[in-house]
Amino acid sequence: MSRPWGTHGEPERLVDRVTRRHLLGVAASALLAAAEIMRTPWVTREQSPAPAQAPAEVPDGPPAGFDEMYRGRRIQGEPVAVREGRTPESWRITVDGRPLGLMRRADGSFLSMVDHYQSYDTPLAAARGAVDEIGPLQTLSGRHH
Amino acid sequence: MAPTRKNQSRLTKAERRRFVDAVLKLKRRGEYDAFVRTHLDFYVSDGESRLRVAHMAPSFFPWHRRFLLDFERALQRIDAGVTVPYWDWTKDRTPAASLWGDDLMGGTGRGPDRRVTTGPFARGSGHWVIKVGVTDGDFLTRDLGRPRAPIALPTAREVADAMADPRYDVPPYDSTARAGFRNRLEGWTSARGDARWRNHNRVHRWVGGHMLGGASVNDPVFWLNHAFVDLLWDRWRRRHPRSAPYLPAEPPGAGSSQYRRVVARHERMPPWDVRPDDLLDHRAHYRYGG
Repeated sequence: MSRPWGTHGEPERLVDRVTRRHLLGVAASALLAAAEIMRTPWVTREQSPAPAQAPAEVPDGPPAGFDEMYRGRRIQGEPVAVREGRTPESWRITVDGRPLGLMRRADGSFLSMVDHYQSYDTPLAAARGAVDEIGPLQTLSGRHH
Repeated sequence: MAPTRKNQSRLTKAERRRFVDAVLKLKRRGEYDAFVRTHLDFYVSDGESRLRVAHMAPSFFPWHRRFLLDFERALQRIDAGVTVPYWDWTKDRTPAASLWGDDLMGGTGRGPDRRVTTGPFARGSGHWVIKVGVTDGDFLTRDLGRPRAPIALPTAREVADAMADPRYDVPPYDSTARAGFRNRLEGWTSARGDARWRNHNRVHRWVGGHMLGGASVNDPVFWLNHAFVDLLWDRWRRRHPRSAPYLPAEPPGAGSSQYRRVVARHERMPPWDVRPDDLLDHRAHYRYGG
């Protein structure tokens, strides 16, 4: 039969490579999370309602970060410097200190690791959407792409 | 004679059991989680400048065709008589469908953590521990139909709208393509509210829980959804025999926004040494039954 259908071109090596890449990613995420926790002062995590309209972006200026309690979870976000392969506007988002992977769509909206099939207008909306989906009991594993 | 992929609603009791047993055995061997990781690794969004092959891209159909075939072959190494069934969500539309029975997928999630508690893939069964997840829970989650704000599965009409488009894909070959069978069936829009999800994407939303996130392959219904998506690609080709079966035919040039970001018909589609053109005809490998 033809090459593509017939080959199982070294699946073990592929799996090894993918796994290694993931372990590195998870380790990097864990470091990020640790750095995030050390960097930010302790804030009492009491239940508090989210502000009705927390602006995530300031018109005609650089996008502003956010730090708020939403449904009992602390959600924080800040724009990060451009890295290779990333969009000009990349964000670091955490929920209770755990990293939430965020991706950008071509239309400018944002997708989170928790919700890959719905995009949100702002990183803040994507972070709130992720909290809505994971519910009150689960925490993020910190896994990125 | 190529094996037949059947409609899940027509599987016999024995066929259901053999499929589930093979999936559980694959999981026990540690092979299943490699599929979860591969799908996660190849989810590249179109706001990034990297090559994307699995989603928001013209190779959405061939990439998943090959991904399913690898999975099916792994199952067949365990039980040569097993194929991946498909879920026609235009017909089996409720959580009461036999698909969600205790001898196939099990039911929806319960409680605030949306934990699946019935069927072979419930954590309590002892056979299905989530290892590669976006959250730290080690149990499968679902939220069928999203009861707090009910949403319906895609309709036959919605599929027909996609099927009527004679173009396989159109520039810019991403999630913003306003026409073309590929994006209409993959289901990206920039709409707001419940209209934002169409076809394939809407099924992920309807199932919810793990199916909604980056680790969607953890829910075995992933394969039944994608077998149906693969079948629909097949139907589209038969309906439009004079259309180019895959676009773009040539790689977008250096001046294009999609330069080196999508795979053309004769370009290699990672992680395999395979081109979309190699995957246009599946009939030597499997067929679809009624």
